[in-house]
Amino acid sequence: MNLAYTRIELKRSLRNPRFMIFAFAFPVFLFLLQTNVFIHDGDPGKTTATAVIMVNMLAFGVFFAAMTNGGRLATERAAGWQRQLRLTPLTGRGYMLGKGLTGLLLGLPVLIAVPLIAALTSGVHLDPAAWTRIILGTWLGAVPFVLLGLLIGQLARPETLQPLNMGLSLVMGFLGGMWIPIDAMPDWMQGLAPVLPSYWLTQLGRGAVTGDLSQNLATTAAVLAAWTIALGALVIWRYRKDSSRS
Amino acid sequence: MSSTNPPAIALTGLRKTYGQVTAVDGIDLTIRQGEVVALLGPNGAGKSTTIDMILGLTTPDAGQARILGRTPTAAIHDGAIGAMLQNGTLLDDLTVAETVRLVASLHRTPLPVDHALRRAGAADLADRRANRLSGGQQQRVRFAIALVSDPDLLVLDEPTAAMDPATRRDFWKAMYEDTTRGRTVLFATHYLEEAEEYADRVILMNAGRIAADGTVAEVRAAAGGRTLRAAIPGARQDDLLALPAVTHATLRDDRAEITSADSDTTLRALLAHYPAARDIEIAAAGLETAFLNLTTATEATR
Repeated sequence: MNLAYTRIELKRSLRNPRFMIFAFAFPVFLFLLQTNVFIHDGDPGKTTATAVIMVNMLAFGVFFAAMTNGGRLATERAAGWQRQLRLTPLTGRGYMLGKGLTGLLLGLPVLIAVPLIAALTSGVHLDPAAWTRIILGTWLGAVPFVLLGLLIGQLARPETLQPLNMGLSLVMGFLGGMWIPIDAMPDWMQGLAPVLPSYWLTQLGRGAVTGDLSQNLATTAAVLAAWTIALGALVIWRYRKDSSRS
Repeated sequence: MSSTNPPAIALTGLRKTYGQVTAVDGIDLTIRQGEVVALLGPNGAGKSTTIDMILGLTTPDAGQARILGRTPTAAIHDGAIGAMLQNGTLLDDLTVAETVRLVASLHRTPLPVDHALRRAGAADLADRRANRLSGGQQQRVRFAIALVSDPDLLVLDEPTAAMDPATRRDFWKAMYEDTTRGRTVLFATHYLEEAEEYADRVILMNAGRIAADGTVAEVRAAAGGRTLRAAIPGARQDDLLALPAVTHATLRDDRAEITSADSDTTLRALLAHYPAARDIEIAAAGLETAFLNLTTATEATR
């Protein structure tokens, strides 16, 4: 993997208004909206509730960055750009690893901005261990979602990409507890949420904020590791299938 | 050119089938270093499939391609091949200079980016986004991408397809200046005049095979050289085709256009049959006629 190449790849996403709106501005905006509309100054659990929403928005930010990043596979394949790259020393494996790396790096802006806003303006105060668990944990927890994004990029065509990503965002966002905190869900929804990996992504940070409705860290890490292995295997399977076809 | 140099392209028994369709049906071909070669043929002749196998984008079912003594993949890896593919688009979210820099960053010993842009005649486009470029401008950028690894072999699949005549001329001028450095060039084209003007050698493909291979003059001769035009009152196409040495004949109203392998013999017979024939012109067949003759001939024998 080389630095100049990765830098140009990152620049491409950061320049894309769609990416900046959905993976950066939207989580920041939703954080401010939810904390200002649903949480009132007199509420007893105000700081905790604010921190929970912060954790959820971090999860959503890295999730959407991962999806947008993976979608590039589909557009670059359709545009013939992948064929162009096959005329360079970059291997197919290098291309996929590079895309995986940018998928992770693109989660960083939101991982920095939302906690800063939360700490400076919304009164979220946590100890360094909790901050580390939330930020580093959510970042590492993005790995299976980066893989999911790549898989969808491998399978979708540019026309089907947007509805697919939209549908997945709705399911992961609403049912997985990123857009609606699980605290606000009826029991049956709470029971359903653990089916989705996005629930476990929010759990990574939630445990550092509250013990209420929280899974322990080891279980959370194990479930996300399982998702990583399963999605990673699918990405590799599809990659092998694609490269053997020519 | 010393004899120890491996050929730029060496294809042996190359074959590729897609389902029921045989795209390339056993090709043997050697292109020496420094040659400028045009690849001609109607749509579906197997040009693009052949090019894809030369570039290692497609694996042959049988036979092999060696590029400068290596496998295509090894040659690509060394930056020895630069290529302009058909239907490729550029990235919309980068400027032209950034796009070329991206490709350069993947090669081991690239040319400086501004150097490649200048050689491709795209220096004035450096700060533009790809989606704001005309078809001809995009082709120049893709030419810069092909040049940036400083390759020994350039492979161009219909490089001037989207260009107007003036841009096409500029493109070939840039191309020509560049190949005087001893680069090997293989280009596929639909424009026969490009082959006539720029290629040292012409390879004509039809139905997955090589139908003719030689200098422009040789291919013309192989196709049986001359075109005879005349006004022939009362002529019928079948009768014209039955005249000696005629390979091809078209008739519109009374105007006949006849291609002949031996125009003297044809003319004598023509005048004997049709004493009223007038406005007779005889011209050396262009590559276009050669192209038509050779491709229809191989179709007939299929």
